Amino acid sequence: MEGTPSLRDVPLFRHLNDEEREELEELLEPADFEAGETLFEEGGLEVRLYVITSGTVEVHKGVLPGRRQHLATMKAPTVVGEMGLLTEPRAAASVEAKTSVEAYGIDRDRFLEMLDADSPAACKVVYEIGRALADRMARTDESIAGIIAQLENAPEATNFDVFQDRLIREWSF
Amino acid sequence: MVVIVEEGLKGVRFFEFLTEEEREEFAEGSEPASFGPGETLIEEGRDPGSLFVLTSGRVEVRKRVPGHGDRLLARIDAAEGRTVVGERGLLGESGASATVMASGPVEAIKIPRETFRRMVAEGRPAAFKLSYRIARTLARRLTRLDEEVAEAIRELERRGETDLEAFRDRLITDWAI
Repeated sequence: MEGTPSLRDVPLFRHLNDEEREELEELLEPADFEAGETLFEEGGLEVRLYVITSGTVEVHKGVLPGRRQHLATMKAPTVVGEMGLLTEPRAAASVEAKTSVEAYGIDRDRFLEMLDADSPAACKVVYEIGRALADRMARTDESIAGIIAQLENAPEATNFDVFQDRLIREWSF
Repeated sequence: MVVIVEEGLKGVRFFEFLTEEEREEFAEGSEPASFGPGETLIEEGRDPGSLFVLTSGRVEVRKRVPGHGDRLLARIDAAEGRTVVGERGLLGESGASATVMASGPVEAIKIPRETFRRMVAEGRPAAFKLSYRIARTLARRLTRLDEEVAEAIRELERRGETDLEAFRDRLITDWAI
């Protein structure tokens, strides 16, 4: 049926049964983007997450003034903006369409209402996001250990340029 | 025993969001655990383990730093409020990122990972509420760390009085074990 894509192929939703998936599919609002258009602006509101069903997006963060750090290239099927469900609804990075993108928005407030009502579909999605975050936290903790080691080796001899480069290169924002 | 465990889960901020029945569900799958001085509740690098609610005693959280033995990240005293360690292990697949060791006699309640996973598989709202809570804690810490690092990079660029020691200390607060 046109306008109601299946979430079956999207990794974040693969643990849902048919009924749960349909419940979430009812929330989908079509939102297409041309190459170069912005899905999220860093620091801007993140009132919905996007399920991307075709196309590619790029993720950037303005770490240094006048320079945008490329963080990731993501291909359909995938989801962006899901962190906003768990934190303040503010985008930590910009997401821009690299090709034309076919996407579907899910309203943050409606999703959170489902979660408050103990909807199994919403609960399972958050559980999956949590699992991904736990593994990302583990990798982050290793990066921190590396930074601490460098700073404790010889704090006064730390070359600021080298150290800054390393932070930019190795930190997975 | 369930009663003892249930009492232990009461008054823990981490479990405030659960109803009494939901706390009972966790209590049924949990067990009391005692540790002597020097014994480890959680060992860095080992398989992800269980969540512990500390009900009495003190623990130290330590992390190995390459070339530096280990570094003390935190001291936790249950007398200052019942607190939780090991929450990330319930959700994640990677080994623990720090060691939690008893500094003296420690009493705790253990929610085994298997209990939690079984409750998730059974679709129990209590388990999903706990994962939501853990996920939010992790998301906030990740967001905060990203900002810390971005700010440090900007500070280095400005050649300001970058206090790298302070930066390091901010990175290791609120370590999620």
